[in-house]
Amino acid sequence: MATATRSGSRTDAALLVGCVLVSLIAIALPGEERSVDGTTTLQGPREAIAGALRRTVVAPLVGLQRGSERWRVAWTSSQQQQLVIDSLSMRATRLQGLQTENDQLRKLLGLGTRLEWGFVPAEALHSTTPNDGLVTSLTLTAGSMAGVTRYSPVVAADGLVGTIRNADPTMSIAILYTDKDFAASAMSADGAAFGIVYPHPARVGGGDSYMLELRGVPTRVNLKPGTVIYTSGLGGTFPRGITIGSIVQELKTAEVWTRTYLVRPAVSPSRVTSVLILSPQRVTQGTGNIWGAGTAVNTDSAARRIAAAGDSLAKQAAKLQEQARQAALDSMKRATIDSVRRSLGATPLPPVDTSGRGAQRAPVAGGQPGQTTRRDTTRVRRDTLRPDSTRRPRT
Amino acid sequence: MNWTGAARTILVCAILIVLQYTLRPLLAWRASIDFMIVALLLGSVRLRPGGAAVYGLLLGFVADSLSVSTFGAAALGMCIVGFGASWLKAVFFADNLALNGFFLFLAKWLFDMIVLVVGHQAHGAEIAMQVLVWSPLSAAVTAVAGVLALSLFKPLMEVRTA
Repeated sequence: MATATRSGSRTDAALLVGCVLVSLIAIALPGEERSVDGTTTLQGPREAIAGALRRTVVAPLVGLQRGSERWRVAWTSSQQQQLVIDSLSMRATRLQGLQTENDQLRKLLGLGTRLEWGFVPAEALHSTTPNDGLVTSLTLTAGSMAGVTRYSPVVAADGLVGTIRNADPTMSIAILYTDKDFAASAMSADGAAFGIVYPHPARVGGGDSYMLELRGVPTRVNLKPGTVIYTSGLGGTFPRGITIGSIVQELKTAEVWTRTYLVRPAVSPSRVTSVLILSPQRVTQGTGNIWGAGTAVNTDSAARRIAAAGDSLAKQAAKLQEQARQAALDSMKRATIDSVRRSLGATPLPPVDTSGRGAQRAPVAGGQPGQTTRRDTTRVRRDTLRPDSTRRPRT
Repeated sequence: MNWTGAARTILVCAILIVLQYTLRPLLAWRASIDFMIVALLLGSVRLRPGGAAVYGLLLGFVADSLSVSTFGAAALGMCIVGFGASWLKAVFFADNLALNGFFLFLAKWLFDMIVLVVGHQAHGAEIAMQVLVWSPLSAAVTAVAGVLALSLFKPLMEVRTA
């Protein structure tokens, strides 16, 4: 028993030594060999043994490993693609908002360029979520330190937004045209209709459709739908010419002497993100023709001028025609008198210049009065009278 | 060990070897599970030390076939680990899972150090980092996986007590 155990231990030790030796030989095998000229590498015994193992015994395991790595790569790339898809979806979601904001900022930049001076740019922070609740006020990121005062007009690129109610040092609160306390003196583009704009109590056509009322328009003035309404500058709060909105329809009221119109505002308060606050100096000196009120007025005046010019041309043409007719009658009258005098043996009358240029023709006509008179009369007859009427007396 | 027991052991070792080439690349952990060490120890404790050394040599060559630069290092490490595991099998396969996990940890760490030293794969601080950080981590993960495998395959395994 002990002998068997000893021989087994020796066998185990011999096997261990043999395995260690084989392992050391495998480690010591050259990996690759260079060719004689040193330009190419040849496969060494180590690579040959490893390659033989990979192609035979280990081949199924290598195949399994390759498949697992493919799965991992596919899973990783799937995750990355999902991340890309998610990020693209988020970008697409934000793109609409960014485009809207970009458009607003571009318009505001253009408005600032046109205004040139007398305004304070500010960001509008909504106190309520735009999609729920009535937006009646905005928090603006500019205050009295920037020159903002109470009742300063707040405008956007599309038109009037509201007015400042409170001006703190670094921020201010603006009431919008949706606020029940809002009122602005307004007029039509051609200045034919004046009235006061108030917020309309009910929304029309959805949650964001704030409307205004133009009250106090004289009955004799009829405003068509689509007519643009501007601030009139009366009252001193808003300068003249800021777009308020456009006429939608007339509202039926109990008023007899005035009309009330429903006005669609030019600016949607829930979409306002950036505004300009006009300074008191700018309000005093006006904003000029920035929102296009003057353009409409100028267009009307130009049309009137064109119509007036057309009228004057017609009048002038009529006057010339009348003068020509009068000259023809005078010529015919003189010709009749001349023929009567000639038949009686008297000398004919000297020619009378009806065109106003007689002084220049007088010397020429003075040398041969009789011929000149006949020739002139004949010419007048030929120009102004019908041939049958001139020939009839001779026959 | 009868034929049934041998077949069961071969089956479990084959499953572990397949896991080495399927689950390990799929997980791709930095401190990865070494199912080959678990298979080596499970087989070695059922063999005589000499046979365990040969078994380790064969498993090592399978592992070395995919890493030509350190060809032979895994074979050397596994034959030593296998021989040691078979020599210590009475202790190794006690019914204490924590002890089994500890021996798995030691086996994996010893194997990594042999491969590291013989294979000349790292130098300086890198070798210290490998020996003191990554190898223990990998050994710990392997020990946990080995304990789980032992628990899972316990009904299939028949430990040789003689």
